[in-house]
Amino acid sequence: MTESARDLPARREAQQRADDIRVFRAELARLQAEGVVDLGADAQQAILAHHAGLLADYAAAYDIDLDGRGRQLSLGMRVASFLGALALAASIFLLFYQFWGRFTETTQVVILILSALASLGLTVALQGRDGSGYFSRLAALLAFTCFVLNISMIGQIFNITPTDTALLPWAAMAFLLAYACDLRLLLATGIVCVIGFVAARVGTWSGIYWLNAGERPENFFAAAAILLAMPRLALHRNYAGFEATYRVFGLLTAFIPMLILGHWGYGSYLDLPARLIEGGYQLFGFAGSALTIWIGTRRDWPETVNTGIAFFVLFLYAKFYDWCWDLMPKYLFFLVLGLSAVLILLVLKRLRDVSSRAKPGESR
Amino acid sequence: MTARTRRRSLAAGAALILLTNAIALSSVARNRADEPESRVMLSERELALPAGGYRHAENSGLALALNWRVLDADEERPDYGYSLHAGRPAWLDAGRLAALGFDTAAGDATPEARERFTRQLPRQVLIVLELAGPAWQQAVERARANALRRTAAATANPDSKAFAEQAKAARDNLAIEEGHASRLFAIDAGLDAAVLRARYPDRQRTLILRGTVRPSVRSSDRQHRLAGYISAIAIDRINVPFAWRGLLEPLRNTSRPAASERTPRYQAQVAVGQHLEPWIESLTTLPGDRPAPSARPAP
Repeated sequence: MTESARDLPARREAQQRADDIRVFRAELARLQAEGVVDLGADAQQAILAHHAGLLADYAAAYDIDLDGRGRQLSLGMRVASFLGALALAASIFLLFYQFWGRFTETTQVVILILSALASLGLTVALQGRDGSGYFSRLAALLAFTCFVLNISMIGQIFNITPTDTALLPWAAMAFLLAYACDLRLLLATGIVCVIGFVAARVGTWSGIYWLNAGERPENFFAAAAILLAMPRLALHRNYAGFEATYRVFGLLTAFIPMLILGHWGYGSYLDLPARLIEGGYQLFGFAGSALTIWIGTRRDWPETVNTGIAFFVLFLYAKFYDWCWDLMPKYLFFLVLGLSAVLILLVLKRLRDVSSRAKPGESR
Repeated sequence: MTARTRRRSLAAGAALILLTNAIALSSVARNRADEPESRVMLSERELALPAGGYRHAENSGLALALNWRVLDADEERPDYGYSLHAGRPAWLDAGRLAALGFDTAAGDATPEARERFTRQLPRQVLIVLELAGPAWQQAVERARANALRRTAAATANPDSKAFAEQAKAARDNLAIEEGHASRLFAIDAGLDAAVLRARYPDRQRTLILRGTVRPSVRSSDRQHRLAGYISAIAIDRINVPFAWRGLLEPLRNTSRPAASERTPRYQAQVAVGQHLEPWIESLTTLPGDRPAPSARPAP
């Protein structure tokens, strides 16, 4: 039985299924060689036919990697696509700066708007023809760059007061292209725009000029809450990796300000002694990262677990530095750091064993 | 992605691009509609050409830097004649800072109170900039008095090379103040443009622009006073329209005499619109760079 084209999963899921089939075939061959299992010829033929049909459907619909070599080449293509997009984006900026002084203001505006529209059109056109997705993603990054250039240059040409509101259309365009092209880089860009906008707005509500909102790290907590709530929306269920991206950025937006305030209480809104603020945020940091590891383990969110571990270690090392750097000989300081890493490994190993016993059937 | 979804993405993206541009351009049109909020003739003293170099080769656009200053409350504080060395003006005191929204309730008596004050972050306010007004005249008077004092000291110590050099530097500084340094001084700040305009009705001498004020403490002789300084003017570079760029391009990368002998080479009529955003209405060149006639202090 083959799936109809209508039922085909998204490209990323198709790739995952193709990888699973490859692993299954290798393991089945091993089991048969070891005499553990002996599928009948009919059953084996049926499985082979089913997998062949699936792979043929996926190959027809998407430019996916059907073997390990293809997968390695794809990784190289992704890197080339990313670097190419960065270089082309820089080229677009510099090209405009090189020549914009030679045109009247009207011509400049027309060029800016047309380049944004044309690059968007190119992205959508490539989307229909490019099975691999690499070229349409490259075009999507260009389209976003052209739009950023468009709005920022209109600000320069007409001396418009810089405003955080510009982050909103940029975020909207980044999200539109990210969801249209299944592109996590642009999703991350849109998320960064949202973080900037929300932090700036929270800052301006307390009277701060928006460009100085970053000097009060607490302004970022509202953005963190929004990002951590985003995976609950059904909007991106069909986009592999999008939920994880929201979670990772939400955690970064929460933990980085905590890390800063844990050592710079002066930057807090709280009208309390700086030492008290720093102690409080260090405590929140430890508790928050431990809670993140626990939730990530329970929900099978590896990126959440990793982020939690990274920040737990950062908070721990920063605390060690505060306590021990001046007191201990340096060899002893680094020895304590190394031993603490061993301790963390033992705790995580224990956590993994408990998790494996709770779900013995899962290979993860 | 189906053809229908692609069409929807294209339509949504195009609508976003056009809508954002429409909002930005209509904001520009509203700013420039009706009579400008102010219209001032500024010269090269207040609108500086950017330095040339390799960046010039990479960027064909041209924007003039708005060169504004403040008259520092401390007469002894060095004044270099441009805004990067913005001082703390006497008028930006605790009362004015409280009116701008800063919390000054704790006062300036204890280190904790002062720290609580300076922990506050910059606020966006409206800054009044005055062209060639009393603040500039006071800056010239300070430079003149300094030149006289240094010249007198050099005369009294004819064998001292150091005194002679100080006197020459002070005279050069006076010449710069009279013929080259910016005459545009920040003289007030507030939150309501109408109130500020009622206080400074001369629209051809005073500009109201957005800027930011950061709290500070002025300390001298163990006395501490709450103060503030203007940390930035929101639009401090004004784009030169294509029509006028040809007049300024030849002036870039040309060798110039010493600062004390420079005089303005162009002047521009700058209008500030309803949104307090400036633009250049016209630009004319001046002879420029002739030795200033009053480069010596009056005896």
